[in-house]
Parts: sequence; structure tokens; C-alpha cells
Amino acid sequence: MSDFITFALPKGRIMQDSMELFGKIGITCPEMAGDSRKLVFENRESKFRFMAVRATDVPTYVEYGCADIGVVGKDTLLEQGKDLYEPLDLKFGYCRLVVAEPKALLEEEDPSSWSNIRVATKYPNVTERYFAARGVQVELIKLYGSIELAPLVGLAERIVDLVSTGATLRDNDMVEVETIAEITSRLVVNRASLKTKHQRISRIIADLEEVIGNERTISG
Amino acid sequence: MAENTAQGGIISKEDKPLTVTQQTISEAMLPKGVKDFLPIKAAKIEQLKQTLHEVFHRWAFRPIIPPSLEFLHVLEKGLGEGLREKTFRFDDRQDGKLVAFSPDITPQVARIVATRMQHAPLPQRLCYSGQVLRHAEQQAGKDREIFQAGVELIGLAGPEADAEMIAMAVECLQALGAEEFTIDIGQVEFFRGVMADLPLSPEQARQVQCAIGRKDNSGLVELLQGLNLDDRDRQAILALPRLFGGREVLERAEKAVVNDRSRQALDNLRQVLEVLEVYGVEKHITFDLGELRGVDYHTGITFQGFLSGLGQAVCSGGRYDNLTARYGLPAPATGFAFNLLHLLSAFDKQLEKSSAKYADVLIFQAGSNKQPAQRAAQALRQQGYSVARDIIERQLEDSIQYAHKMNYRFVMVVGGPDDTVRLIRLADGMEQQIPYRSLLTEGFCL
Repeated sequence: MSDFITFALPKGRIMQDSMELFGKIGITCPEMAGDSRKLVFENRESKFRFMAVRATDVPTYVEYGCADIGVVGKDTLLEQGKDLYEPLDLKFGYCRLVVAEPKALLEEEDPSSWSNIRVATKYPNVTERYFAARGVQVELIKLYGSIELAPLVGLAERIVDLVSTGATLRDNDMVEVETIAEITSRLVVNRASLKTKHQRISRIIADLEEVIGNERTISG
Repeated sequence: MAENTAQGGIISKEDKPLTVTQQTISEAMLPKGVKDFLPIKAAKIEQLKQTLHEVFHRWAFRPIIPPSLEFLHVLEKGLGEGLREKTFRFDDRQDGKLVAFSPDITPQVARIVATRMQHAPLPQRLCYSGQVLRHAEQQAGKDREIFQAGVELIGLAGPEADAEMIAMAVECLQALGAEEFTIDIGQVEFFRGVMADLPLSPEQARQVQCAIGRKDNSGLVELLQGLNLDDRDRQAILALPRLFGGREVLERAEKAVVNDRSRQALDNLRQVLEVLEVYGVEKHITFDLGELRGVDYHTGITFQGFLSGLGQAVCSGGRYDNLTARYGLPAPATGFAFNLLHLLSAFDKQLEKSSAKYADVLIFQAGSNKQPAQRAAQALRQQGYSVARDIIERQLEDSIQYAHKMNYRFVMVVGGPDDTVRLIRLADGMEQQIPYRSLLTEGFCL
């Protein structure tokens, strides 16, 4: 049981990107190609196990040690503030966490003069910290999806949300006002696992670091 | 979590009127983060405590019992900011002063040694077990009441004292039956040596410390980009998140830093390791020079114990040379404490066997004269057996059923003083007939 290294990966695109990256350092899971309804996949030979979980649950699984290693967006880490190691920026899943508002509203105001505002977001903790540091008082409305809807129906004038291409904002006549953080996927590691399995885990980190470093020099 | 279902299972079997149970469940009976421990769990916790105290005793540590309430202003002298925020405080109606439940026993021991024991010879080897309260993150399922058992070694500065703490922690884990475990050693002076004299604002220094604590290399690179640092300092800081692993870490660290303070910290680690090699525990040791999680009164070596397969540390400790001085008696000191509930979740299964059979004999007697049963119970207790009288008037088979549920080893059916006694072994139903009088003789064995 404990000689396995267990990964918690967010279902969907990031899971594919992660497995592609892991493949480059020889971590594979043929079982994953088959039945896609399964939640746990194993490579018994090389002693790796992979769990498919919701992105926002990845830090929880890793913090409690159900998984040794996880892949998760920096946005989730910032929001949850869990006690984890995050030794690597995996450089994929790039997007930005921004403050946005309707175009029409921005035309008639100066965001630097905000003193108290209402903000709808999936990220109440990040939003509160960000505006507290800016000296702006915020009234937070926590939503679980379709944040862009909030200004359209008058729920909140501003939103804090992830933007990758900006298409959704444009389609809803909204514009970015400020960038709170640049987001990429991170490798996270359970504290106890890093200590008790340090040889295997250090190896994984070093190998990934090399692959990511190489890619960056080639592409950039 | 497993505990709730297990105990919930027992309750629902015994409580027949289901509606009543539902009523009581609809409202929480306890604040979040504290628990009731029913007999099975409680026995396991007692056993953990006992095993640890046996080891403490073998190393010549003497018990001490600090109070659960302290004056806030006195307690706060010994608390870092992190724990200060987590302290439960309220006002004392008797004198209007603020009082607090201690979130950590070490500052209490430091206070006691510096005041009540100021004339006692040093070093003092003291041990304790007790509960502390800390505010915790809501809804994270975290305990607010923490069960600790630990030791403090006050009055010794040398590396041998630090090694004593680590060797004891290893011995404790071995006494508990752990096979795969790691004691991970850090040295806060190594980090402080790297950070000393850097042109950083307190806020920048805090951010750098956080990034190192998370081993967040890319975040650290980003933070340092904007800062005016010479290359050597930059390299030293960037090395910190990767300085973890086996003893080779000490060599890598040697190359990464040039400042005296960090090098002294490395020398100190090597000296500690030498002693640990004498004790033969070095195979359990790892190092992490980027580990900054110590409580902020730590001044040198820090360490945490990790069991393979358990997500959290089971013990933590380290050197704290400035703490007793805050209460008026400067003295070097070191110590550590186990978190008993983390140990419980790690050793739950292993403890099962020893805590399951909690009593030896249940004595049943029909009829109105109970005296023979009472005498038999007393005689068996004097022989060292744990014995209960059934007392309640019921059928033998009901008593047997009850004894099964309560994990008795035997049911004893007593008749008159001249009859034989039926001894039923519950594990397999085997019966034995014993003359009643033989129970009362010395040297009787079940």
C-alpha cells in the first residue's frame, strides 16, 4: 500500500496534460486508456496510482495524505491556503485571475477611487485579501459558476474570475480592470510523503523540472 | 471518521427507540473540533500514553502537571504569534482578568521551571501529558482539542541534548510498534544565517519565508526577481526549498552557503548526527533545511516525526534557548511532544487487540442470596483479575449476551457455597466446573 506513489489529478483536460507530462519522465498508466468511468487507476509494475478527483478537491486529498502528489491550479491553492508543498510550476493550464466589470461601467468611473464595492466570485478568500491590501472594502457574493451573469442581472457590479482568452468577457460586454494573479498548474506534495518517500519524490520533482526547463528553452 | 461510524454502529444497535436517537442527532451536542472518546478509543489513548511514559521514564524524565487555565498575559510571553491567534481566551469573573486555555504545554513548563523551580538543579528532565486547545480552521475536520504527551530537557545546550530528544522520539515510535518512520530534522539557524543582513523589508522577508516553507521554487524566483540581491545570496535562498533528503543534504548545503551562522548550524547538525549514529537510529533520519514550521520560539534544531502512510506529523519538537528567559531564568532547553490523536489514527488497528478484551469475568448468580457471588468477585479481584458482578436480575442467557457485547472473557455462574461453579469461556463457549471453595484460595488461576 504505502510503497505506491499516489497522484490526485483533476478530471478532464488538466489530467490529460499531466499524464502527457508524466509520460515524458516515464510515469505512465496504460490502465487509464480503457474504462473511463473508473476513479482510481494503477500501474502495479512501477507502483503508481492515479485518482481522478474534482479540481477543487485535489488539495484536500493531498493534505490528508490520501494522495502523495497532486496537480492543481494556483487559483485553487491561493483560495484554499492549505498546508502543502508546491515545488513545481508545471507551466500548463495558463490563465489569469482578474477583476472585471461591464464596459459601460468602466467608461464612467475610475477603479482607483473605489472605496466599497460588491463582487461576485468563486474565490472569496483571494478576493477579500486582494481588496483588503488595496484598501477597498468588499461585499462578497460567492457563486459556483457563470460568474459573468452577475453584473448582467444586477447581482454584483464587479466580478473576480479566471480568464484565459477573454472571449467570455467580451461576449458579455465586460472588460478586465486589474489582474490579481497569473495562474498555472502546480505540482503539490503532501508534507509527510515528501519526508517518508523522499527518494522517489525528489526524483520525480527533479525529472519534471528538467523536462519543463527544456521545453521552455525550446519554445521560448 | 472511521471512529464515528464504528461508534455510531454500536449506538444504533443498543438504542431501540429510533425516534429518540433522531431527535438528539438533529442538533449538535458538541462544539466542532472536540470529541467524546468512548471506552474502546479511550483505552487505546491510555495505552499510547502509558507506552510513551514508560520510555520517558527509562530516560529518567519526571512527570509534571501544569494547569489548564493560565493568565493570558503570562501565557502570551511564551507564545509566538501563530499560537497566540489560536488561543481560547475569556475573562475570569472572579477578578476581571483575561484567562486562557493553554494552546501549548512547553511555555507552561518553561514558566514553571523559571519560577517555581528556579532553585532546582539543572538540567531538569520533565515529562507531561495533557490536552491543549487551539482554534482551528472551520470545516476542515480538524481537532481543536489536542492530546499531547511530551518531554522538556532544560539546562543543556550541547548537541548531545538535541540527539537525546531525537533518539527518544525514535525509541517511542519503536515502543509503539512502528516500523517505517522518519524523523525529519531542520535547523532554523541555517535559514536565519541565509536571511541575516539581506536588504529585505519585513514584508518581503515574510513572503520569502512563506515561499521557502511551501518549497515553492517558482514563486521564490518571482519574488527575488524584483529584489536587489547579490548572486551569492540569491543562490543561497534558492537552494533552500531543495535542501531536503538523506544525509547528503548536509554536503549540498555546505556548498550552497558561505555565511558563518549557517555553517555553524551545519556543524551542529553533524554533531547531532554523530550521537545518533552511536544510538544506532540514523537510518530513520532525514534532513530538511527549508523546513520552517517550528513554533517561533525555536532557536536551533527542530524535528518532526512522520509515519509512512499517515499524512500528518505524529511528533514535533526542537531547541528553544530563549523561552525560559521570558519568565526570568535564562536556560538553554529542548523538547518534543507527540500528538496522541495522530498516533491513534496510525496505530488504531495494532491497539485493537490489547484494548478489546477489557475485562476478565462477569459473575452471575440466580436466587436471592448473592453473598457467594460477592465473595468470589472479591477473591478474584485480589488475584488481579478484572471482575464485575452482573447484579441485575435476568436470565443467564441475557447475561451471556451482555458479556459478549462488553468483551468479557468469561461468565461465571455461582450457586451455593458448597456447589461447583460454572465457568464459561465466551470465545468458544467451553465450560468448566470448578469447586466454589477453590476460588477463594490463594493462587487460583483462571
